[in-house]
Amino acid sequence: MPERKRAQRADDMADGANGPDTTKDGPAIRLGHLYPDQLNMYGDRGNIITLRRRCEWRGIALHVTPLDCGEPLDPAAFDLLFIGGGQDKEQSEVARDLRKVKGAALHSAVADGMPLLAVCGGYQLLAHGYRPAEGPELPGAGIFDAMTIHFGKRVARCIGNIALDIASPVVGASGGRSAAGESSASSAGEHLDLGVRTLVGFENHGGRTYLGPDVRPLGRVLAGHGNNSEDGFEGAVYRHAFGTYLHGSLLPKNPHFADHLVRLALERRYGAEEATRLITLLDDTEEWRAHNAMLARLGVLSASSTTRQPAVRS
Amino acid sequence: MSAHQPQTGDTTGTDTEQAAAGRATAEPAGSVSGSTPTVARAALAVVAGRAAGALSRRLHRGGGTSLPGLVAQRIYPDVIAHLAAQLRHGAVVITGTNGKTTTSGMTAGALRAAGRRVWRNREGANLLRGIAAALIIRAQPSGRLRWDGDAAAVFEVDEAAFPAVVAVVRPRVVAVTNLFRDQLDRYGEVDTVAERWHTTLRDLPATTTLVLNADDPAVAALAEGFAGHVLYYGVENTAQDGGADSADGAGEVVDTRTCPRCGGVLAFAPRFYSHIGHWSCPDCGEARPAPAVAAREVRLERLERACFTLVTPEGDARPITISLPGLYNVYNALAAATIGQAMGAGVEAIVESLSHFSAAFGRAERIAAGDRTVQLLLAKNPTGLNEVLRALAAVPGPLHLLLALNDRAADGEDVSWIWDAEVERAAGFAAQVTVSGTRAFDLALRLKYAGIAPARVESDPAAALEAALVATPPGETLYVVPTYTAMLAVRAELERRGHTPHYWEQRDAGA
Repeated sequence: MPERKRAQRADDMADGANGPDTTKDGPAIRLGHLYPDQLNMYGDRGNIITLRRRCEWRGIALHVTPLDCGEPLDPAAFDLLFIGGGQDKEQSEVARDLRKVKGAALHSAVADGMPLLAVCGGYQLLAHGYRPAEGPELPGAGIFDAMTIHFGKRVARCIGNIALDIASPVVGASGGRSAAGESSASSAGEHLDLGVRTLVGFENHGGRTYLGPDVRPLGRVLAGHGNNSEDGFEGAVYRHAFGTYLHGSLLPKNPHFADHLVRLALERRYGAEEATRLITLLDDTEEWRAHNAMLARLGVLSASSTTRQPAVRS
Repeated sequence: MSAHQPQTGDTTGTDTEQAAAGRATAEPAGSVSGSTPTVARAALAVVAGRAAGALSRRLHRGGGTSLPGLVAQRIYPDVIAHLAAQLRHGAVVITGTNGKTTTSGMTAGALRAAGRRVWRNREGANLLRGIAAALIIRAQPSGRLRWDGDAAAVFEVDEAAFPAVVAVVRPRVVAVTNLFRDQLDRYGEVDTVAERWHTTLRDLPATTTLVLNADDPAVAALAEGFAGHVLYYGVENTAQDGGADSADGAGEVVDTRTCPRCGGVLAFAPRFYSHIGHWSCPDCGEARPAPAVAAREVRLERLERACFTLVTPEGDARPITISLPGLYNVYNALAAATIGQAMGAGVEAIVESLSHFSAAFGRAERIAAGDRTVQLLLAKNPTGLNEVLRALAAVPGPLHLLLALNDRAADGEDVSWIWDAEVERAAGFAAQVTVSGTRAFDLALRLKYAGIAPARVESDPAAALEAALVATPPGETLYVVPTYTAMLAVRAELERRGHTPHYWEQRDAGA
């Protein structure tokens, strides 16, 4: 019973105005929200609200369970994981818990194809580590083959609106390392094919992230800084785990990416065929309007060229 | 996005401004030109600054609210310290995330009711140059303050400019209202801001009085290591669940979750909103300090008023009704009452002035627009928006709304925060919603995910106001909930239509 109560708390947390769960016996996705009390900066809540609504509009329930410090992670209990960003003080608390409590289970879950979204601080924490300008290195969970370095206060933070191309080839993206290493771990030469090839958001990070050979970047930076403001790439992908600096919130204005996560979660639970049946088309007029308005403002791509598969209007 | 210029003469923060602030504190008096005597230099700065302001006003360039300060500081970086030192009754500096403008308005009212002459900085001109301007327009060509400095200054100061301002103004009273996440892209994270304030306060002399919100753990903790006298204020209890129902706020983002001393997870009993309430740490025993000035039996009456009993250190218990909505304005009144105490205003003057206080610029301000009424409710961060929506929920609906989201420098370029706010609350009372601002599409999307379909989306605030007013039946009120620069734009449009005076002509201009 405490499980149910905690899930209810999480539901309240994600979206207070929600009615009772009306799809108890229908399809459902079980979302594990890692460290919601510590990592909730920069509109992370918007990602949960978006997943919830886009599921509900399709008759799919979204059960959100907060996974706090000290609690073990049971990968079998979830179809999707989310971790957001937080303040420095909170992040060290989380790093400790990842190391001592949840790290191993998280590793095996991702290796087993568990879909996961890690934003900003969460992205940094799930990589090898964070090296501050001074003081000891903060070790991470090592899910992403990447390392974040902070070069001190004299180096400007990466702040501003950002747009990515997620459908361009990524060879040579791993900080100059050979692409050969990529094929071993991540799906070789693959890029996301989500119909629309752009992602938009807002980034705000002091650390610079450098990718190793075992991950590929999420996308190429069309406008903004990205991982390190040097190599022109943003984020990291390893199997079905996605790390990114994009908030804004990320998912509301990128419905194709939100649906990709929903699909992966459904596939994991119900298989590909059932997932395809459940992912019905939605009217995303408002989503694309906000998405395209940001693309137009950044002047990176004309709005029309970005949509191979235009939004369905019902 | 530096191409976006804010629409007033003063932004609430740009890089050049911050750099200028840094220079002003770094350079000792006379270092710019050792051969020019200080007094002559101050006089020159005053004359040049005032001339620039007069010219700007004549050209209608946004009222020139801080241009005089900018010019004068260029000529004589120590001009603020030089003039502030002449204030016979000292200066009050008020900072915090929310409530600065209302609190400083209430404070000025209390001090005036106590017979003081009060000088304030202009609304929105809350960086170092705005403070400089406020002093320069009250100075004579000789470099001396008018009335021989027989006045008290009340300055509302931007969170980031606070250290630089305090260093030169040397205030008699410093007040901190609250600390919430706000413009993370500009100010940084909540902990970063708290640390900066703490360092600033530790450097102040023991003659300074510090006024702190006891109910905000991050603010209460600022007393640690402070040399001077500390006066806390807080809310003891509310007479109803309307503004302080903890279940109602279960989904709210809490910005200060852990104990400022030991890092343990704080307990709240009760929690009024966000992390504001009666907090304690189960781990180390640290707890909300007992307030010297308190509100008991708070009753919120729709958007019109809040009633409470004001308890003072002398043991007075005085019933007060303020004509402003929401518990957050009760906190503003408490802050002003406590500052008034520290500045020697009697309880009579405080109660009298609070009872007659009318809304500050854009903060629950009511403006007649022909046969409709427009009420402006500024909301610039998640907690601010939550409190405005909570207050609106108490108005018998359904309500006509205009929501406007800008992402200019003074608003913060990151609009992620709208997803942290409980916009869902508006689904219960929204009749028709117009969405506007530079990020109108983002706001429309936020509403969609809250289950609200906007009636119209119109980026241009003037056009949006026109459409929203047409859609509001005669005799009814249009509630406008804008971010900072969106509020200025809506207000400018109301001015253009002749509904309200220019704001720089409005306030204590001749005082």
